Amino acid sequence: MKKHWLETILKELHSEAYHWSRQCCSFDDDRAKDVLQLVYLKILEGKAVYKEKSQVKTWLFSVIRFTAYEEIKKEGKNSSLDQLPDMAYEDDPPENDSHEALLQALPDRQKEVLLMVFYHDMTLEQCAEVMNLHIGTIRTHYDRGKKKLKEWIEKTRIEK
Amino acid sequence: MRNETDKELQSFFDQLKENDREIQIPAFPEPAKQSSINWWIPIGIAASLTLGFFLLPQNKKDLNPPAEVIIITLEKDENNNQQILIEEKTYLETWESPTSSLLTEY
Repeated sequence: MKKHWLETILKELHSEAYHWSRQCCSFDDDRAKDVLQLVYLKILEGKAVYKEKSQVKTWLFSVIRFTAYEEIKKEGKNSSLDQLPDMAYEDDPPENDSHEALLQALPDRQKEVLLMVFYHDMTLEQCAEVMNLHIGTIRTHYDRGKKKLKEWIEKTRIEK
Repeated sequence: MRNETDKELQSFFDQLKENDREIQIPAFPEPAKQSSINWWIPIGIAASLTLGFFLLPQNKKDLNPPAEVIIITLEKDENNNQQILIEEKTYLETWESPTSSLLTEY
């Protein structure tokens, strides 16, 4: 009964889950598909268990984010995205001013919080659950991310 | 309540959403449906029983005893000559209890 119920909800969330997977995989479609497959496999095999402590969406996003980071780690492209300091990012907007490029230029945590809030209509509390961070930390990433992205959007608008 | 910055950012993300509509989303993987009963188990039991029925030795005994029995005995007559006696008896007359020897010998 619970399995069937979870399957129905996962089906409903599939489209959103795919977009989140893509966003966690630096907008790489192929990797996003692989990550999502792995996530569903984890759920099917009982390696990722929903314990009803949070919303299904929050739990699913958390599993996707974790799996995406695991895959990136395996490929050795980044040792750990979480450990990268925000200071390493430049203040100037990227040369490519597409939406994805602008977001990709942000520190990962800022990018994720902004995407969850503005794209996936989630609250900061839910973001804290997904990222397993304190709400205060999430607020900091949210404010910094908003400020930087707004600056870049304005800059790219002027340059055009 | 969202301020101007938030509205501007919301517009940015709405555009991103709009662009993402063109992305082809892979189909949701349908898990192979498993029926609640694993039919292989009852089918296996039925097949074993059927096979066993055919392979069992058919030990049907003929319950109808022969109507008549011919008894051939070798006896000595008064002159100590051996002679063969052939008697025809019904089956019931010749039947002897397997434990009759116990009555006579003890």
